[in-house]
Amino acid sequence: MTMELTVLAFAHARETFGFSSRQVPCDPGDTPRELLLRLCPAADLSHLAVALDSEYVSMDEPVGGARELALIPPVSGG
Amino acid sequence: MKLHLEFSHGPLAIPPHELPSREIGSVLEFQGLVRELEQGEALTGLHYEAHEPMARKRLEAHAAELQAVHPVTEVTFMHRLGWVPVGEAAVFIRVLSSHRAEGLLYLSGLVIRLKQDVPVWKMVPPSAGGAGAGVFSGAEGGGAS
Repeated sequence: MTMELTVLAFAHARETFGFSSRQVPCDPGDTPRELLLRLCPAADLSHLAVALDSEYVSMDEPVGGARELALIPPVSGG
Repeated sequence: MKLHLEFSHGPLAIPPHELPSREIGSVLEFQGLVRELEQGEALTGLHYEAHEPMARKRLEAHAAELQAVHPVTEVTFMHRLGWVPVGEAAVFIRVLSSHRAEGLLYLSGLVIRLKQDVPVWKMVPPSAGGAGAGVFSGAEGGGAS
C-alpha cells in the first residue's frame, strides 16, 4: 500500500536535502533511513534525528501510518 | 501547574506578572539574550527557526517531567523566531512557585532541556561566522547565552 508522507527539513537538513517540505510516496514498512537515502543517496545521516508526527523515533523504525517525517539536526534554541 | 507557551516573531511581549494566589513566594525570570561575539566576529543578530508544533510538545513533556520532581505553580515560556538583533531576548521564562528552591531547580532544568531536544535552531547570518550561506549553530555554538 503506497501512501504519501510530508517530509519537513529544518536548518542544516534543509541545505542537505534541498527542500523544506516535500510530499514523498512511501510504504508503511519503509524506515526514515530508507526514505532519506532514496531522496538523497549521499546524505550523511549520522547527526540527524528524525520524528514521526512530532515524536522522536529511530532511523530504523517503520513509518507506519505517520503523516509527517521531520528531519531534526542538532538543536540550538534559547 | 499552569503553563503558557508562546512562539512569536518580533520582540517578546513579556506580560506583567500577576500572582495567581497569595501562596506565591518566588518569582524567577530568565532572559536569554543574543550576544555580539561569535568565534571572535561581531554579529548583528541571529535568525531562529523552529518546528513549532513539535517544540510545543517537547516543552510540554519537559514541563510535566520537571513538575513531578520540582513542583511549581505557573510557568511562562516565550521564544522568539525569525531575526533577533544583538542585545534582545530570544527566550523568556518566568517561574512562579511557593518556594524558591523548587523554582530555581525547575528553571535551570527547563533551560538545560531546551538545548537538548526542543526543535529550535539559530543561524549565524552570512556576514559573520561563515562564508556564503548562513551557518546554523550546533548545540553548543552560537552567540546566544
